[in-house]
Amino acid sequence: MHLPTPGALLIALLLISVILVAMIVFRPAITNSREGKMLAFLAFLILPVLCMFWGASEHIDRSKQTQFCLSCHVMEPYGKSLYVDDPAYVPAAHFQNHRIPVEEACYTCHTDYALYGGLRAKMEGLQHIYVQYLGTIPKTITLFKPFNNRECLHCHLGARSFESNPIHMAIMDSIKSNQMSCVTSGCHDTVHNVANLDHVKFWSPVQ
Amino acid sequence: MNIEATGVQRSLRLPGILLILGLATELISLLWNKPLAFILFAFVGGVFFLAGILLYLFSLVSARA
Repeated sequence: MHLPTPGALLIALLLISVILVAMIVFRPAITNSREGKMLAFLAFLILPVLCMFWGASEHIDRSKQTQFCLSCHVMEPYGKSLYVDDPAYVPAAHFQNHRIPVEEACYTCHTDYALYGGLRAKMEGLQHIYVQYLGTIPKTITLFKPFNNRECLHCHLGARSFESNPIHMAIMDSIKSNQMSCVTSGCHDTVHNVANLDHVKFWSPVQ
Repeated sequence: MNIEATGVQRSLRLPGILLILGLATELISLLWNKPLAFILFAFVGGVFFLAGILLYLFSLVSARA
């Protein structure tokens, strides 16, 4: 049995709410009775508030999806870089081997794993939308701030493959304190590398 | 039968229309899978919702007064 998705349930709730509100607007005499007043309270306050919070949650969930991030034209090369057939490309290796959830690939690495990190990511996302539609898109896209090792350590710290590497263990303090960057200190420095995409091979997943 | 809307019932029209607009905006934003849909939801739908709910609450309070 297929259960309806939360999105489909929300759409159904929105339609029910519209019908109830419209019924009261066009047949106001309904509110003469006590039950009618209760129905109006439900339709004018409870359901809209529920729809608003549920809608916000749905939009926030949707904005975490890889497809959502790549729906802006400027992000296309970054999406393409996830399919580079070269394990040295850090995002490609993570994406192709499902080391990160592929449906939320961008969000998983680029969110801030700290208190209010998700909220900060959303505020930065609003800035991206502003630049996309009203600002000037820079020729070279850079991060708002240098990539924090904390985002890598969120998954790798405590992982056997990470900690059994003697180099990682020798410089662990520098990694944790960001004195050395995982991605810009010469160790794992091939990241999206979008300028070089014309010269690489791509992996095609089997459907 | 008197079907003329009373004062309170009339005052439900504007909040009702605003709420229908808010709900319709939310519906459109959910069916449109683009980053602008969030802006539509938050800044257009949100304004309709808030205005509709506040006007409804105001109509309840003013009816009692």
